[in-house]
Amino acid sequence: MTTRFDLQDALFGAFLVAVAALTFYATRTLTFGSPADMGPGFMPRVLAGIAMAFGLFFVARGLSRGGEAIERPHLRPFAAVLGAIAVFALLGVKAGLAVAALAAVLVAAAGSDETRPVEAVLFAVALAVASVLLFVTALALPIPAWPW
Amino acid sequence: MELFDNLFLGLQVAVEPQNLLYCLFGVLIGTAIGVLPGIGPIPTVALLLPFTFGLEPSTAFIMLAGIFYGAQYGGSTTAILVNVPGETSSVVTCIDGHQMAKQGRAGHALALAAISSFFAGTVATVVIALLALPLAALALKFTAVEYFSLLVLGLIAAVVLAHGSVAKALAMIVLGLILGIVGIDVSSGASRMTFGIPNLADGLDFVPIAMGLFGLGEIIANLERPAERRIVAQKVGSLMPGLPDLRRAFPAMLRGTAIGSFLGVLPGGGAALPPFTAYALEKKFAKDPSRFGHGAIEGVAGPEAANNAGAQTSFIPLLTLGIPSNALMALMIGALMMHGIQPGPQIMTEQPQLVWGLIASMWTGNLMLLVINLPMIGIWISMLKIPYRLMFPAIVLFCCIGAYGISNSMFNVWLMLGCAAIGYFFIKVGVEPAPLLLGLVLGPQLEENFRRAMLLADGDVTVFVTSPISATILAVVALLLVAMFSPKVARKREEALAE
Repeated sequence: MTTRFDLQDALFGAFLVAVAALTFYATRTLTFGSPADMGPGFMPRVLAGIAMAFGLFFVARGLSRGGEAIERPHLRPFAAVLGAIAVFALLGVKAGLAVAALAAVLVAAAGSDETRPVEAVLFAVALAVASVLLFVTALALPIPAWPW
Repeated sequence: MELFDNLFLGLQVAVEPQNLLYCLFGVLIGTAIGVLPGIGPIPTVALLLPFTFGLEPSTAFIMLAGIFYGAQYGGSTTAILVNVPGETSSVVTCIDGHQMAKQGRAGHALALAAISSFFAGTVATVVIALLALPLAALALKFTAVEYFSLLVLGLIAAVVLAHGSVAKALAMIVLGLILGIVGIDVSSGASRMTFGIPNLADGLDFVPIAMGLFGLGEIIANLERPAERRIVAQKVGSLMPGLPDLRRAFPAMLRGTAIGSFLGVLPGGGAALPPFTAYALEKKFAKDPSRFGHGAIEGVAGPEAANNAGAQTSFIPLLTLGIPSNALMALMIGALMMHGIQPGPQIMTEQPQLVWGLIASMWTGNLMLLVINLPMIGIWISMLKIPYRLMFPAIVLFCCIGAYGISNSMFNVWLMLGCAAIGYFFIKVGVEPAPLLLGLVLGPQLEENFRRAMLLADGDVTVFVTSPISATILAVVALLLVAMFSPKVARKREEALAE
């Protein structure tokens, strides 16, 4: 399927422009210096300038020609995978690896149509036990294993 | 002979019991992830990296390298048995390898793939040893000026052979360089783009970025596609190919090794390009090209030899010049720095144990792969039956644990989350993340060398063209860029990469 605009180009360009703008903003107080005596702000601003140029170029090109349509994004896998990471990050230190692993695997598994609930729960328990044994017991990763 | 002294020193390191053991771990893990489609060596190396901190650097690198070339072996197993490439490098092996399996000759195809890989691996080890010394000697003449130009060449050349749009790949390099800025500036002590977050003072860790961009973004995109049904060829058949098969395969093996060794050294070459080239060449050399696609043994032996040789010789730029030729080598550079070793031309003279131990371990590792893999084929087949619905939550979990493990902080897990979202965005807009990783890893060195060169030359940028070595390197860069943007070459490149 083709579209009137090349949305892939335009979106990537917009992303570059945003990163470049953020870089300019974040390094605005750093001294630029001169080529012979470069300040800490020299490289960031030069790079941000190049990124900005690339970004504007892609935006312009994307809007001036047609292109392939982007495959429709699905919310469920996206939310499940990111959710699983977030759950792990929130629970890991407080509730221990066992609980965090169990929760993360279950949340991730919810992202696929193919998941079978009973199998997923059993698999999550097995993985939680295995990660505690492998990472905490065998590899001595400094993370609590259990909530207590 | 210095060469033999070096190889002998390397062998001594490689056969230390601990190194042999970790080499075995590496190649086994490598084969396993190679067999499994959907998980590649980049997230795997990133994941295991934090757990190598307790090891000697040479032991750690022997294991990490084993994962890389082990994955090439594993990838071909899946290609032959399931007709799905386990790794990108084994795409070509699907064509004739799977046909052989359909004809009940899966065992022959597997054995030949293993023998070709071993043969190529052995030759490539010698090639590395031969090329390493002169290249390192040349590199010792380098000052900041030449080194800066070399880094530029490394970045640009990696783009040329990558898939997709050159302009987008260049933009991705710039993004990587910007990410490399984050942290405290070494020369002035000013914090740059840290947004007041203390975890960012030491800069962004590339491990969570690599896992997010390469591993997790890919998983999200995979889940959107309908699950593929895999039919695993059940009958493997006899393993040992007969003499006529071997006689036919041997010249293909030789040609594949030569192509792979050469293309692997080129920046951006790595493991993807050689097998395609080797396959095309075998088809040209064959008396009866129509056999290709119907189980021609040369179509397995040539590309398999090429991909293994290429995988190994892609270590040459890393070990001699400190320049990564692909995203995985960029990861290796980062790993070196995490072990407190400054990558660069001096590495050969300062860390001979590490460099030569690693080179020699590639040979012992290949020998292990040859001996172990064929008898273990049953295990690999049963691994292929693990459905994706179970595999992906496990990968997500291991990535989380790995990201936490780098500095024992959840900050990196959150960073990985952000990168997973960005990685998914990159897949949707059709850009390859590999150049970003190269830029991120090389960025700080690029700035440091540029700054030093400018300081010495008193701000005179012509210094980059008045030094003969630097001028030559930059001329190559200019030539590459001009060639890439000329429509004729661009079309040829599209065709070559699309094949």
